[in-house]
Amino acid sequence: MKTTQERDLMSRYDFRKPGVRAVYGIMVVCIVLISLSMLYPFVNTFLNSLKSTKEFFAFPAPFFPSHWLWGNYKESLTYLNVGLHFKNTLLIFAGSALFSLTVLGLAAFGLAHLRVPFKKWVALYFLSTLLIPSASYLIPNFLNLKNLGLLNTYWAYWLPSGANAFFLLLLRNFFEGIHKELFESARIDGASELRSFLGIAVPLSAPILVTLLLLGFSSIWNDFYWSSLVMQEDKLPIAGAIYTKIIYAGSTINWNVRFAILSMTLLPPLFVFLFFQKYIISGLSVGAVKG
Amino acid sequence: MELQLETPVAKRKMARKTRVYATGTLFLLPAFAVFLIFLWVPIFKGISYSFYNVDFVSGNTFVGWDNYKEVLSNPDLYTAIKNTLVYMGLAVVIGFWVPIAMAISVSVLKRFQSVARIIGYLPSIIPAIVLYGMWQWFYDPVGPINSFLNFIGLPSFDFYSKEHAVFSLIILETWQNFGSATLIYIAGLAAIPKDLYEAAELDGAGVWARIRYVTLPSLKGLILLLLVLQLIATSQAFQSQLLMFGGGPDNATLTYLLLTTREAFTYINFGNASAMGSLMFAFLVIFTVVTLKLRRGGDET
Repeated sequence: MKTTQERDLMSRYDFRKPGVRAVYGIMVVCIVLISLSMLYPFVNTFLNSLKSTKEFFAFPAPFFPSHWLWGNYKESLTYLNVGLHFKNTLLIFAGSALFSLTVLGLAAFGLAHLRVPFKKWVALYFLSTLLIPSASYLIPNFLNLKNLGLLNTYWAYWLPSGANAFFLLLLRNFFEGIHKELFESARIDGASELRSFLGIAVPLSAPILVTLLLLGFSSIWNDFYWSSLVMQEDKLPIAGAIYTKIIYAGSTINWNVRFAILSMTLLPPLFVFLFFQKYIISGLSVGAVKG
Repeated sequence: MELQLETPVAKRKMARKTRVYATGTLFLLPAFAVFLIFLWVPIFKGISYSFYNVDFVSGNTFVGWDNYKEVLSNPDLYTAIKNTLVYMGLAVVIGFWVPIAMAISVSVLKRFQSVARIIGYLPSIIPAIVLYGMWQWFYDPVGPINSFLNFIGLPSFDFYSKEHAVFSLIILETWQNFGSATLIYIAGLAAIPKDLYEAAELDGAGVWARIRYVTLPSLKGLILLLLVLQLIATSQAFQSQLLMFGGGPDNATLTYLLLTTREAFTYINFGNASAMGSLMFAFLVIFTVVTLKLRRGGDET
């Protein structure tokens, strides 16, 4: 983005002044320190997960474990069936992604390129929900799912995932950026609207779809509270399972074992992030507005 | 013109028009239904439940304003409101300026800009549950921070005490969230035309003056937007309070939403919880409308 030699806030001449250079130096040191503080917890969590309990509480604590005790991971599996909860998480994610992107994609395409009666009001019906704080209907939402008999089923995640005004907004804006002429010529060639949606709009929106998939992944991976309400025991996704079984206030499970579980939960999103870093950072400028 | 409606051409046109409308409607129908069932129904039910005594066994009974009266006479409510406001305020004072300073600093880095950006964003990808697990240990009386303090001869710091709990929370939240805000500000900084800086420098403005009179005014809109978003987000905070402190010690970290969930899932009083949700809804809608009005008014002048 900024590989050019173009000047920015500071010019070459600024760096000739000793005062400016001193401040700049201090600033660089600060950035380095902050960066270290960002990396430290990751490394520390992982290394602590391999220490013995004695070493964990040793003072001053050694940075590296003297023996790499992979047994902690084995022990952690006795507290939590990690594989099962991983599978649940992925199942919830896959179903939600499929359902929400289908429902919202169709609607966004309709709003962007089709003729819809009372389009303005329909758009308002969808998008005004963005203004309503989700916290204010947390409780009735739960009761609603209970009344519908969806509690403790995957449908409790899959179906409501389609009610996402933020995703709808992003999709509609993206579809609006596709030239109308493309769809008109498809229409003249006799393609149905569904056909132009699947054959033209969807392939062209690969970048926004990837961004939405990543946002969806991180929200499901992160959510521990809602899932602990909606799902029980064997159906819980990983975050909810850790919350109810490992990290609850007053937990007595050994720290090194806890850290082993935390490390296992930490690594998948880390790899996803490092692989898709480009999409995430560019998607963030659109994703940011959600707050 | 009206006569033309009777002609076969116009009839066909009408038929075509309804057919075209039908396709569009079909595309929107599934989303319409899902939004209705999973968003609009809960939203309106929330308001109606707040006037009922919700009972799954013997059915709901209408109680009028009783839930509201009960909620408003609960002394914990005022503690929770005060705590939430203090938390929102401190989060602005301690945390809000950090990403702005960081973004400006990173943007003038000559090397490793993208590395700094990626590292800054790392905490945002940690699942919240892992984050709290990690920080429970960092804040532990024998955890690394206190070991370090003892090591250099300082007394331990009790992160869990009544006075310090809010600070402990804000530090951890700032640490986690500032990366994503920084990225947004960096995008905003990149949009500032470079000739502004050049012109300012030719006019004799130093680096500080350029930040003060060029950079910050250009970011004004973005800063305001992120401020409003942060206030809305922090007003709904309860997860970190719940996990790190359980609302305690002595209700020091009891926020409004934490009290709401407590009413619902600890005391199983869904009517009261819905009343609290409706109060918050009313407040946040008013807040949003006022800020939107203010922003629009601000733009005009």
